[in-house]
Amino acid sequence: MNKVGIVGYYQVPPALDHNMGRYELIFQAVRGALDNVGLKHKDVTSVVSATNDYYDGRTISNCFTVEAGGGYMKDETKVEMDGAFAVHYGMLRALTGHHKLVLVWGGSMSSCYPYSSSTLLSTDPTFERPLELINDMTAGAFQMRAYMNHFNVSAEDIAQVAVKNRRNATSNELALPESQLPAATTEMILKADVLSSPVTELMYSHPCDGAACIILAPEQQALKIRDDPVWITGVGYSQEAYYLGDRDLTQSQSMKNAAQMAYKMAGVKDPKKETDVAEVFEHFAHEEMIFSEALGFCKPGEGASLSTEIGGELPINPSGGAMSGNTPCATGMIRLIEAAKQIHGDASEHQVKDVHRVVASGQIGLCAQNNILFVLERGGRK
Amino acid sequence: MSKQQAAIVSAGFCEHASKRSDVNMAEMANEAIQDCLNNANIEMDAVDAIVMGNMPAFEGANLPELWMTDWVGARDKPLIRVTTGGTTGGSVAIAGYYHVAAGLPGIETVLAVAFEQQSCGNTSVGLSSVALGEISIVNALGLPAESAMRIFGAGAAIGIASYQAINYMKRSGCTEEDLARVVVQNRRNAAKNWWTHLKMPDYTIEQVMATPYVSYPLRFGMVTPASDGACAVLFTREEIAKDTVDIPAYVNGVSSVANETGIVGYAAAGAGQLDPCEQLGAVESAKLAYSQAGISFPEKEIDYAEVYSPFPNQELMWLERLGLFKENTAHLRYRDGTTAPNGELPVNCSGGVNSTNAIGASGLERVAEAALQIMGKAENQVPKTVHTSIGHGWGGCINFVTLTVLSDQPRRK
Repeated sequence: MNKVGIVGYYQVPPALDHNMGRYELIFQAVRGALDNVGLKHKDVTSVVSATNDYYDGRTISNCFTVEAGGGYMKDETKVEMDGAFAVHYGMLRALTGHHKLVLVWGGSMSSCYPYSSSTLLSTDPTFERPLELINDMTAGAFQMRAYMNHFNVSAEDIAQVAVKNRRNATSNELALPESQLPAATTEMILKADVLSSPVTELMYSHPCDGAACIILAPEQQALKIRDDPVWITGVGYSQEAYYLGDRDLTQSQSMKNAAQMAYKMAGVKDPKKETDVAEVFEHFAHEEMIFSEALGFCKPGEGASLSTEIGGELPINPSGGAMSGNTPCATGMIRLIEAAKQIHGDASEHQVKDVHRVVASGQIGLCAQNNILFVLERGGRK
Repeated sequence: MSKQQAAIVSAGFCEHASKRSDVNMAEMANEAIQDCLNNANIEMDAVDAIVMGNMPAFEGANLPELWMTDWVGARDKPLIRVTTGGTTGGSVAIAGYYHVAAGLPGIETVLAVAFEQQSCGNTSVGLSSVALGEISIVNALGLPAESAMRIFGAGAAIGIASYQAINYMKRSGCTEEDLARVVVQNRRNAAKNWWTHLKMPDYTIEQVMATPYVSYPLRFGMVTPASDGACAVLFTREEIAKDTVDIPAYVNGVSSVANETGIVGYAAAGAGQLDPCEQLGAVESAKLAYSQAGISFPEKEIDYAEVYSPFPNQELMWLERLGLFKENTAHLRYRDGTTAPNGELPVNCSGGVNSTNAIGASGLERVAEAALQIMGKAENQVPKTVHTSIGHGWGGCINFVTLTVLSDQPRRK
């Protein structure tokens, strides 16, 4: 069976308003990933990027990134979604044997555009957009309220997730400085400015500027590049219904579908026992709980009872998750990078002990309408 | 996860027009999907994953795949959206191929959908952000803002096309009548397909020459329309393909090699002049896709070509760059009828992009028509047997090219 390995990665430190241009961010990510494993641009055979025309304020957002993103004279394409989906497409390219080295990068500068307004532009243009009521924040608030009411979960329980992620972010040197709160308490989270009741500012993964890059190679090529590539052993992704009224917001059907597909591929039977760490893209604190339930780590509604801090029974987002810096088009990819770091033992202060298998997710859409899940495992020569 | 031979088993279209006011973009895409599934007698349940694409800035809808979920049958199914400008359709086809070819368990049949409803927005406004390019480059040219706006904003696609046309005429001896001949062949071909936009069965060279210049040497009668439309193509594994249709169109080569970004002759990365006629990306894409498909002599081995040519001179340029005709001779092949439907190398029997241009869908339509000619199911089917065909796409800032090589035989290994 063929598999694909992650052989290199790089994350540009995020910032609310970066002192670099778009192309400089992208170049730094791509150059950094290649340099980290001693590869050259000529070794790359394919480039997949993840950007968005609306976030970049430009039709054909990948048009001017060809040079900075390493796409010149390479088999190049773009996935206009979260970076994790671009990694998936890059993996497919490596699996067919056409490509020996696939470079995947994603990023955006949310300081240049109003992120929540662009999510309004992604709603149904006939019925919903003219009302200007729904965007990522209000939809997230609907979901949090539904989850709390249905399972009798308190706001404190959900705030606890934000406390954990913001404390974890403190030990992550690549976290957005503004997201790091070493002395975070549930009270502090709940008393923060309300974005859309009951979601407060500190429960929300704030968009920021940044870029990230992952280098993929098929099995044999990956082993030539390094002794310990991180293998992608399973991937699953799924899109659920669009209208919030068509969905059960207290759970994530798309993440359940994605997990089912990825676990089957990777041969995971008991995800809670067989997974050492999870890095999920949580747009809001409550999403992490809904995801941990969809991923089979606990029963529906019991996400709060799971011990998920570093050193707990199943650490979730030891890096601080998306809350440590949500770079649209790169956040899911950064979760994969963090997962790979955990496996390599490179996660410095937020390292979890003895990590063999990690799941990492990316998402897109209101209330995470489309989710993708990767199962990553420690590699090496057998 | 083991490598699979991918094949196209069906293609579908919706009716193309300047304004499809009777449907929204979701319903329009759905029409093409229904047509595609009906043509293969397949239900949506048999589709394992979906690949979508359009140019979101033209309709003013960000991430349209999300609210279009139910119209494209994506509920509880894997879906990704690929978009690369003019090559979007070609990139969607290539993504469809990779989804099947990678052989992920559970992903065997993949639906590729591409659409554009240009009447929803203003394409010229959408394109101006591409044409204007990087403000730093415009500044470097030393033009006052007003002149820069006129040159880049008003020029957009036709500006580059005029440059390419003059260049081609100068070095090949191609005349304005030769350009008109290409248009006439395309529009007459379009009249033989039910879904196309500009159907002109009686169009003549004289009629084209009587229309005014838009930008010398391109006349109003030579210019591509702005269409609303959608296209859907079904990719599947070899075993399933054989059970579904008599002659599947096997996908044997795919490539999309990107060249340096160029703005009206200036390389965006600052390397100086960039010749829009050189099209190194197309030359390299052809090399890559042909080598994957085991084609050594494209001019002999390829029986049918669908190339992406909004303007007639580009059709001549692509046929040469993709290795089908010798340098500076393509216009002569139109004079002697080689490229007519009953000729030796029929080109664009669908009418091409010159007759129908729903931008996001155009690249996929080229692949769809190239596949239908192999399957023997094209509306304007050529009399000769097509063994190998190509579907080409072009876009970006003159720097993106997609190429798909199809055959009636699986890839020789």
